[in-house]
Amino acid sequence: MRDTIELNNISHYFDTAAERIELFDNLSQTIGTGEILAIVGPSGAGKSSLLSIAAGLEDPEEGEVVFNVGGTPIDKMAMRANSGFIFQQFHLMPELDAIGNLALPLRLKGNKDAFDIAADWLGKIGLEKRAGHKPHQLSGGEQQRIAMARAFVSRPRFIFADEPTGNLDARTSETVIDLMFGFARETECGLVVVTHSNRLASLADKSLRLENGALEIAA
Amino acid sequence: MSTVKLIWDNARHDLKAADGRITVLTQTALLFFLLTLTLVSASIQNYLKANLDQMLGSDVVVESHVPLEDRALQTLRSETQGLAKSELLKITLSFEKRWERVQLKLVDNAYPIQGQLMIGASPGADQMPAKRGPDIGDIWLGSRLATKLGAGVGDQIKIGGENLQVAQILFHEPDRLMEGHSVDLRAMVHMDSLASSALASSGQRFRYMMMADEAQAETIETWAKDALPGATVLKKYGGQHPLSGFWRRTENFLGLASVILFFMAAVAIDMTNRRWLANMRYRIAIYTSFGTSLGKSMAMAGGQWLTGFVLSTVGACVFAAVAQDLIVAELQAYFPGLSGGLYLAAIIKTVALVFILLLALQIPTFNQLRGSSVLSLIRKAPENRYLLQRLFWGLTSATLLAAVYSDNMLLTAMTLGAVAVALIFMTFLSWLVLRLGDYWGSRRAGLLPFAFFMMRQRIFSKSAQILGLGLCGLLLLFSLMLMRDFSAMIETNSRVEEGNLIISEAQEKHVGAIHDWSEKTGSTVKQLRPFLSAKLVQVNGVLLNDYMKKPSDSLATLQEPIRLSWADEIPDNNRLVDGNRWEVGTEDWQQISAEPEVMTDMGFKFGDKLTYQIGGETYTFTLVASHAYKPGGSFITFWFQVPLSAREQIKTDTYYMGSMNLPEQAWSELASLWEANPTLALLPLKEMMQRLEKTLGIVTKVTSGYAAMVLVLSLFVVAASVSGFKADDQQKNGLLMSMGLKEKDCLWLNFYDWGVTALIAAAGAIVGTWMAGILIYEDQFGLFYNPDPIWVVGTISLMVGTVCLIGYLACRQSLKVSVRDLLAG
Repeated sequence: MRDTIELNNISHYFDTAAERIELFDNLSQTIGTGEILAIVGPSGAGKSSLLSIAAGLEDPEEGEVVFNVGGTPIDKMAMRANSGFIFQQFHLMPELDAIGNLALPLRLKGNKDAFDIAADWLGKIGLEKRAGHKPHQLSGGEQQRIAMARAFVSRPRFIFADEPTGNLDARTSETVIDLMFGFARETECGLVVVTHSNRLASLADKSLRLENGALEIAA
Repeated sequence: MSTVKLIWDNARHDLKAADGRITVLTQTALLFFLLTLTLVSASIQNYLKANLDQMLGSDVVVESHVPLEDRALQTLRSETQGLAKSELLKITLSFEKRWERVQLKLVDNAYPIQGQLMIGASPGADQMPAKRGPDIGDIWLGSRLATKLGAGVGDQIKIGGENLQVAQILFHEPDRLMEGHSVDLRAMVHMDSLASSALASSGQRFRYMMMADEAQAETIETWAKDALPGATVLKKYGGQHPLSGFWRRTENFLGLASVILFFMAAVAIDMTNRRWLANMRYRIAIYTSFGTSLGKSMAMAGGQWLTGFVLSTVGACVFAAVAQDLIVAELQAYFPGLSGGLYLAAIIKTVALVFILLLALQIPTFNQLRGSSVLSLIRKAPENRYLLQRLFWGLTSATLLAAVYSDNMLLTAMTLGAVAVALIFMTFLSWLVLRLGDYWGSRRAGLLPFAFFMMRQRIFSKSAQILGLGLCGLLLLFSLMLMRDFSAMIETNSRVEEGNLIISEAQEKHVGAIHDWSEKTGSTVKQLRPFLSAKLVQVNGVLLNDYMKKPSDSLATLQEPIRLSWADEIPDNNRLVDGNRWEVGTEDWQQISAEPEVMTDMGFKFGDKLTYQIGGETYTFTLVASHAYKPGGSFITFWFQVPLSAREQIKTDTYYMGSMNLPEQAWSELASLWEANPTLALLPLKEMMQRLEKTLGIVTKVTSGYAAMVLVLSLFVVAASVSGFKADDQQKNGLLMSMGLKEKDCLWLNFYDWGVTALIAAAGAIVGTWMAGILIYEDQFGLFYNPDPIWVVGTISLMVGTVCLIGYLACRQSLKVSVRDLLAG
């Protein structure tokens, strides 16, 4: 049975001292596992907020979000245990080496084979020789490959990626996108990617454009 | 297991950073101080307990400052299997031209009833046991006394007109414990050798030693509580050593001193917490991004903090054990046979106390951690600084520690009050200076206006830095100043210009003899103040020891007879503090005035009924006023004063204290005055100075150790301040350099920043110290607060200089890294 996230008629805005900024209004969308969904749109359109709401990190001002995992609805706290994230800024732990960062989610879940599994994943992303390197000794592309593998390593049901290639050059982006999509298909999770990259969006199963508060299928 | 390992790994990583190390070192220093104190105290208390078992010289002892009536004595005899009487008093023994102040013990035929009395033929002779005390007409001299007087077996010594023959040299008395750790010279005579009344003195003690089983000892204790309100009962089974209260008080005093250390530690930890908190928030956000629950992440953060605490505890225990050995070796001079040990219960108690206090300090941090979210990794979330919470928990923890150790609530409240005033002042001054500086610089170019602009932008973190450094400066300055002034006061007191011989106690009958002798020798009597000996037995009808359980200086003194004075008008060297003092010539004689410190320590309030045992009778007075010592006049002052009319109502002997001035040739004549009046207590100023110097030596050792701890923690605070703000400074410097500023400009900017910080902190420290001085000096120590401006300015300059220098070094260090690295930081 497919696990899903249902966004039902959600609206979101935030208030500043001077005015209310409306992000989107009355959006509905279902995101499922085994599916790669890209969200594109201009800066400030509310893409990151939509991602945060879909991931259960924040609540919409109006509407409801329903998470279904294993055939039953779960709350957003339970949803968190079934999610993984990939960030634009990589966010690796500076004090841990590459394999330590990769093994971290498994260790947190009490997996005794964490380092063996992490070593396999390092091989998958071609960085087995960099296992003992700290983040500051790695290039941006290498850091993002580790950050991405880290999101997949514990096989969550959904992965949320916020501008995963935003800090990378075109060539490195290609590698990261290929790996990310490949892992998503291999693990059959649901992948939601917020991006400015048309190339990335074109490779997704579905691409949605958020603009002027409305969500529509991108061309 | 994997999670535990991860916690350990994280803790290890944190320890590799400067902030982590400073936090652990600060905790270790604090725990080290308190654990050393605990272990040494436990060793002493354990020693005293063993001492009580072995050196009481009987199963139960009743000690009183008045002789027991026959009926009471009969009761004691009927309840026990044997009773020995002794009497103790201080007299001056003279032999040829030498004299020494001596503790004389008068014993009966039954003495000793338990333990061994050791005697010999000369101070260097072999010791042998004696079955009973001296015979009538004999005197036994302690070995030190015999050496000092140059007297030996067979010599004659005259006491109050009686000739006594030195028959033995006294080495050991089985009831020695009852003398505590007095190093007085000692002598022993038979009770019937001297007329007791001829030797009466206010400090006279009557001791009744008995053989009794546990149940009988219990019965005597219960009976004495009601029947002998002024008496002390000591028993071997389950009893408490007479000195244990004193050592508990010493521990309390040093524990209270640790409040200052705790404050400093709190400041250092608060500063290093900034980075720890940022790291932990980041860590928790990332953990939650993997699906780890916030609860588990928080538990891991708690575990990590706990790891640091455990490391500190282990380190502190090791250092404290070493320190205990060193201190115990030093204390063996006062407690022969004292040995250190591992007192687990005491260690656990202290560690638990520090654990609770440090945990309380972490509450705001954990509250902030609770707000960690993955969102902060996607977009920058606003940060709540919890400044008020941090202040609140810091003050609460310090107050809790003070409450645990304080036996002087007034002093504690004053110290905390001064700290609070300094904090408020510094907060206001920081706000004012940074705002005004920014306003002044808003239309000016240059580095100083820019420095003000930057500081104003970072006003919250800057204020925390200023408050921390200022508080540390205040505590350092105050501790150093108090120690300096206290030492100076002891020295000044020892050079009182009120004569060169102190009359510490004279009886009515001595007064004439003193005047006659003065005339004969060309000496002058400077002053003589009358008093009577009174023991406080009840407060509002409740026995003193039931009324007050918490040990304090005041209680310890009130457990012995005190000197009660009488006067209608307030003496020149006293001032009325509060209440309604009686009018001149009042007939209502049952009124009393007390010193405010005693009132605070003992919880007395106006209207309380204080019952004293005076000369075997009890008298009750109503507390109506409080008076305090006013420096400048005579040095003699009394804790309690009653109206002049009270004197007629009280049937007891009058004693005097005062001072004399002796010309050089009169000193050799003193022996004749003492020979006729052995109980006259005179103390040559030179001797007093020697005693004070000895005391000062001990005080200096203790305070030097304490000052060293304060300095170590001050260094931690400065290091924490630099380290905790390093990231901000690196980022600032990196940005400025990327904008084309030279290294030299960055150094200047940094210098202005630290200079302004240090100056505001120094101003706060001066105000706080001044406040503490005004509040505490006069009230607690009878000192005038009169700071030496050069000394204050010198200390403050040193402080500002040190802070700027450390800031400069830190900045140089951070400027070494490239702009790229700085920006990455």
